[in-house]
Amino acid sequence: MSPEPEPLVALVGNPNTGKSTLFNALTGLRQRVGNYPGVTVARKSGQCDLGPAGRVELVDLPGLYSLAAASPDEQVVVDALTGRISGDRRPDAVLLVVDATNLLRNLFLASQVAELGVPMAVVLNQADVAREQGLRIDVGLLSRRLGGVPVVLASAWKGEGVSEVRRAIAQALADRRLAVRATWPAPVAAALDEVTAALRSDLGVEPTAAEAQRTLFDAAGSTAVRFGWTGPRRDLVLRSARDKVRRGGYNPFAAEPLAHYAHLRVLLEGVVEEGGAARSASAAVDRLLLHRLLGPVLFAAIMLGLFASVFWLAKFPMGWIQDGVDLLRGYIAPKFAATPMLQSLVADGVISGVGAFLSFLPQILILFLFVGILEDSGYMARAAFIMDRLFSWCGLSGKSFVPLLSGFACAIPGLLSTRTIEDPKARLATAFAVPFMSCSARFPVYALMCSAFIGPVYGSGWESAAMVGMHCVGLLFAVPVAFILTRFVLRVRPQPFVLELPRYQLPKPRDVLWRMWQNAAEFVSKAGTVIFAITVIVWALSYFPRDPAVADRARTAEPSLTGEALERRVQAAYVEQSWMGRFGKAVQPVFDPCGFDWKITVGVLASFPAREVIVSTLGVTYSLGEGAEADSGQLRTAMQSARWQEGPRAGSPIFSLAAVLALMVFFALCSQCGATVATLAQETGGWKWAFASFATMTVLAWLAATGVYQAVIRFAPPA
Amino acid sequence: MNVEAVIVSACVGAAFGWLVRRWIAAARRRRDGSCAGGCGCADKVGKGR
Ligand SMILES: Nc1nc2c(ncn2[C@@H]2O[C@H](COP(=O)(O)OP(=O)(O)O)[C@@H](O)[C@H]2O)c(=O)[nH]1
Repeated sequence: MSPEPEPLVALVGNPNTGKSTLFNALTGLRQRVGNYPGVTVARKSGQCDLGPAGRVELVDLPGLYSLAAASPDEQVVVDALTGRISGDRRPDAVLLVVDATNLLRNLFLASQVAELGVPMAVVLNQADVAREQGLRIDVGLLSRRLGGVPVVLASAWKGEGVSEVRRAIAQALADRRLAVRATWPAPVAAALDEVTAALRSDLGVEPTAAEAQRTLFDAAGSTAVRFGWTGPRRDLVLRSARDKVRRGGYNPFAAEPLAHYAHLRVLLEGVVEEGGAARSASAAVDRLLLHRLLGPVLFAAIMLGLFASVFWLAKFPMGWIQDGVDLLRGYIAPKFAATPMLQSLVADGVISGVGAFLSFLPQILILFLFVGILEDSGYMARAAFIMDRLFSWCGLSGKSFVPLLSGFACAIPGLLSTRTIEDPKARLATAFAVPFMSCSARFPVYALMCSAFIGPVYGSGWESAAMVGMHCVGLLFAVPVAFILTRFVLRVRPQPFVLELPRYQLPKPRDVLWRMWQNAAEFVSKAGTVIFAITVIVWALSYFPRDPAVADRARTAEPSLTGEALERRVQAAYVEQSWMGRFGKAVQPVFDPCGFDWKITVGVLASFPAREVIVSTLGVTYSLGEGAEADSGQLRTAMQSARWQEGPRAGSPIFSLAAVLALMVFFALCSQCGATVATLAQETGGWKWAFASFATMTVLAWLAATGVYQAVIRFAPPA
Repeated sequence: MNVEAVIVSACVGAAFGWLVRRWIAAARRRRDGSCAGGCGCADKVGKGR
C-alpha cells in the first residue's frame, strides 16, 4: 500500500459516445475488471499515465443519459460519484465524454454532474464525425462558458487528441475548477432547501446538492431509499416540497430538465457553427417545403396522399379480418346454442364488439408506417414550423407546437410535453388546446364512418378528403379557443422561439418498423383489455333486463311477420327496452338536433371514458338487434341498412350524409377521454381547468354537430 | 339461479372490477408524475430532445 494513493478519475458519458474506446486508448493494457458490490454491474478500472503529472486511476462508469436513477447501472454511477460505494473513494475529478455532434443532449448529463461539485474535464469525442458534418465547435468559448473547465476535441477511434485529453485531466486535477451550475427558479430552490434540511435533521447526513436534487426530482425515490430514508415522514416532506414547486408554477418532475436545458441553451449560444454540403442540400429542400404559400399547400397534399394510401392499402386486409371475425362467430355461436345468454355474450358482445374494433388494425399499421417515415425523415419538425407560422397570431407560442403535434398521436404525451414551456400561462393555454388535436383514437371512428358511408357513395377521393377535413376540424376550433384564452382570459405575453430543424435524412427502416410495431401492439392490447372489458359491460347493459312479455308483445304487434324477420323484430324489441336502450331513448332528444338516433346516442354516451369505444358499442348494439344466429356480424352492412323506425324521419336511413358528418364532427371536438381529463387535472394542479376543458369541448362538439347536420339536410341534395 | 346466469354475472363482474382497478392504478401513476398508460412517455419528455 502506497501512502499516497493515485488520484481517482471517473469516466462519465452517454452510451455510445466512445467512452470505452477512449478508456482503452488512455489505459492501454493496464486494466482491471471487477464487480460493484451487490449488483451485477462491471467495474472497469485502469491506470493512466499523465506524463510529468504522474499517474491516475481511471474508472469507466456505465453509460447513461441522466442521473435520474432508475436502473442499477444509473444508481451505481450516482453512488460512485458521491463516494457512497463501500471500498471505493470519491473521484477526485470527472472526465465527461460527450458526442461532439450532439452537444445539447449530451451536455444535459454534464449539467447534472456539475451539481456534484467534483472538478471536471470535458472531452468532445467523435470529432471526426463532427468535421464530416461540417460542424465547427468553438472549444475555447465553451470552456470559458463552463467556468474555465478544460474542454478538448478528440477522436478516440482515430487516436486523435488523446494526449490533449491527458493534459486536460492533469489540468482538472491541478486547478480543481468546478463547472458553472444551472440556476434554479426560486420555488425549486426553496423546495431543495427544505429537502436538504429534512435529510440533515432526520438522518444526520450532510447531503450534497446533487443528492438533494435526486431525492426531490426522482419519482422512483431510489436515492432516498439509499439513505435509508423511508416511511410517512419522508412522504410528507417530499409532498410538501413538491407542492411548493407546483405552486410556483412548475411541474416537480419537469423542473429539473427545464432548468438544465435553459442553462445549456445560454451556454451553447454561438458555440457550434454549422456549415457544409449536407446543410445546404437541406436548406434547398426547405426553401420549397417551407415556402410561405407552397409549404402549407404541399403539407395538405402530403396529408391527403397519406390518408388516400392508408384507405387504399388497408381495404383488403380489413376485409380479411372482417371475414375472419364472421367465420369465428359462425363457428363459435352454435357451440353455445343450449345457453342463449352465454351465446349472446360471446357472439354479440365479445366477438362483434372487439372484432369491429380490431378490423381497423391494418389502417393503424399503415398509418403509423407513413407517419414514422415522415417523422424520421425530418419532415414532421417542418410541419410544426409551418403550423407555427400559420397559427402564431392566435397567441400560442412556438413552443406550443411540439405538444400540439404530439397531440395528433395521443393527447397525453402532448399534455406531458407542455412541461417544457416555462411560462405557466402559456403552458395552460397549450394544455387546453392539445385535446382538440385529432388523436389516433379518433381514427377508427372516422375510418368506420368514411369507409361505410362516404367511400361507397361518393368515391375514395371524398373519403380521403373527409379524413383530412376531420383532422383539421380540431385545429380550426383550437385556434379561436386558444386566441380567446391567451388574449382575454390568461393574457399571455408572446415569447420568441426558435425551432431547431433537424437535417433531412433517409428514414431508418428499423426505427420506422419499431414505431409501427409499438403502435400496433398497443392497439391490439387495448382491444384485448380495455375494449374487451367495456364491451362486456356494454353488452350486459344492452341485454338485460330480459322480460319474456317484451317478446310476446312484439309478436302480437306484428302478426304478419314470420321466421327470421320476426326473430329480428323480437331481438330489436329486447335491445330497445334494455337498460342501455331506455337510457339512450331518454337522452336521445338531446342529440336529436344532431341527427343521432338512440343507438348512436348510446354509443356517444358509452364512449365518454374513451372515444374509440363507440366502434365496439355500435358493434354490440347492432349485433344484438340482429340476434346471435345472424350469419354476419358485420357492422358496416347493419349500419347501412338501419332506418328510422318512428318520428318525422321514419323510413329514411339513420346514417345519412348529414348524420355521418355530424357524428364525425362531434367526435372530432368532444372531450371523450377520461385519461386526458385526468392528466389535464394533474398537469394544471386541479380539476378546475380539466372541467372547463371538458365542458367547453362537449358544448362546442354539440353545437358544431348540430350546425353541420342542420346545414347539410337543408342545403345538400339527398344522396 | 342457474349455472349460465352465474357464469355471465361472473364475467361482467370481473370486467367491471378489472376496469376499476386499472383506473385506480392509473391515478396513482399520474400522481407520481408519469404517464398513466405506463408507456414511459413522461420520462422521454424530460430526457430526450
Ligand atoms: N467515428 C468515430 N467513432 C467512434 C469514436 N469513438 C468511438 N467510436 C465508435 O462509437 C461506437 C461506440 O463506442 P464505445 O466506445 O463502445 O462507446 P461507449 O458506449 O460510450 O463505451 C463504436 O462503434 C466506436 O468504434 C470516434 O472518435 N469517432
